Amino acid sequence: MSQPRSSYAVGTGLFIVLGFAALAYLATQTSSVANVHQGDSYTVEAEFTNIGQLKERAPVKIAGVRVGQVQSITLAPGQDVADVKLSIDRRYDHIPQDSVATIFTSGLLGDQYVGIDYGTAKQVVAAGGTLARTKSSEPLEEMLGKFFGAGGVVDNVGGSYAVKADFTNVGTLSVGAPVKMAGVVIGRVQSVRADPVKLNAQVVLAIDKRYDAIPDDSAAAVFTSGLIGSQYVAIQPGGSPDALKNGDEMVLTQSAMQLEDLIGKFLVNGSPSDKKDAGDGKK
Amino acid sequence: MSARMPPQRNVVTQSLAQIGACGLFLLTLLAAIPRSFRYVRETIRQLWFVGAMSLTIIMVCGLFVGMVLMLQLYHVLSIFGGTSASGMVVALSVYRELGPVVTALLFAGRAGTSITAEIGLMRATDQISAMEMMAVDPIAYVATPRFLAGLVAMPLLCCVFCAMAIFGGHLVGVTWLGIDNGTFWSNMTAVVDVHTDIVNGVLFKSLAFGAVVSLIAVFQGFTTPPTSEGVAYATTRTVVASSIAILALDFVLTAFLM
Repeated sequence: MSQPRSSYAVGTGLFIVLGFAALAYLATQTSSVANVHQGDSYTVEAEFTNIGQLKERAPVKIAGVRVGQVQSITLAPGQDVADVKLSIDRRYDHIPQDSVATIFTSGLLGDQYVGIDYGTAKQVVAAGGTLARTKSSEPLEEMLGKFFGAGGVVDNVGGSYAVKADFTNVGTLSVGAPVKMAGVVIGRVQSVRADPVKLNAQVVLAIDKRYDAIPDDSAAAVFTSGLIGSQYVAIQPGGSPDALKNGDEMVLTQSAMQLEDLIGKFLVNGSPSDKKDAGDGKK
Repeated sequence: MSARMPPQRNVVTQSLAQIGACGLFLLTLLAAIPRSFRYVRETIRQLWFVGAMSLTIIMVCGLFVGMVLMLQLYHVLSIFGGTSASGMVVALSVYRELGPVVTALLFAGRAGTSITAEIGLMRATDQISAMEMMAVDPIAYVATPRFLAGLVAMPLLCCVFCAMAIFGGHLVGVTWLGIDNGTFWSNMTAVVDVHTDIVNGVLFKSLAFGAVVSLIAVFQGFTTPPTSEGVAYATTRTVVASSIAILALDFVLTAFLM
């Protein structure tokens, strides 16, 4: 404390300078100032049917290089497409009108971003214009489903028969998911679609021809492997002497259990969707 | 402010009385800011004392925190083959939590205690009363400069701490464990955001912690019984109360800012 006045003044000055130098170092060297700094930019709209996990301020890239960011994501009322506004650096104002905006995922589990693939048109997209051609985010499950589903088809070429089953709720069951009996895979889910009239999910199961003696009163249920695993269709054999044939429909079905519903039932002793589920399978 | 607190029987009412007195003291401190402009030189001297003199401990601790964090992360992430992300995790955890919190804890131990002890001894040796006799406002001359110095010093110290932690992480990760230098920096810059991580995390949190720690330290110094035992007790209470306040406030700030 008995330091001469000039000594502590210089020391304090040095301390302040060092503190601000450290701040400048943190701000410029360890973070991308580009994430915040946005030069002159213009806005382009694009409509996607599914944006997946895309978030605002996600990067927009051309040829993998960041050229802008996602400004806003809105869902217009009464429409089922997401309206995504992209804010793109003014320097890149020669994007052909027929360019394709695609939602990509960086790596297997990374964040999603919008990639723009250049088209060949002479006209460029003006500020406030719309990129008409878009490709939506493809959920990983769907891609895996296609991949494994295709593998399954090759496995039993011409060797499967189709059986229909209606569910009130298929949960996250996707095309290509396994069909199991007694825990063994006997086929694949061929298609999942909503029935526009009956308002339920119509699932077509492709079952291997070798298993042609499944009783026609067997029940189909959507189960989940483990607590957070993927979903599959389990077939519980009935007692009828007649076997399922190609094009038959399975009458007894059990929908996917939703974890929220289960917890709801457990907690409040019956959730609102209880009654709806009770009519399941009887149609 | 020199009025002794009335004896309280209950621990709860006693703590409530402490908190209430501390809040009133804060108002007195803030009201005295215009009057303390006359003592700018005193504020600078306090800044030198609580800030510049704390640099050594902050730098050394920051270096070791960064080093040990990198070492731990490397071994955990190598199980998943994600060692390239360790630089990024070091940066995020230091900016958002460890930097402000550890700096504030060290600051409470290094600067807070000496503020309390100094003011407590001033009271014990009647220097405060002497100032009042000489028509020098002890709040404006003793309390406010120390409070303001703490407020300014904490964010700066926290920046230094974070920079040293990154340096320590780089030292262990790149130099010793062999993570690629380019991956280390590019992963870090890709994720660290100036607004959420550096402004909200480093600067705002450390400013809040600086205010809390220096308020507690000055308050404890001013309200201690003017005996040597009282000063010892007040110094301990500064560390205990500051630590609890820092960790609790950290949770609240994180919940609101993130």
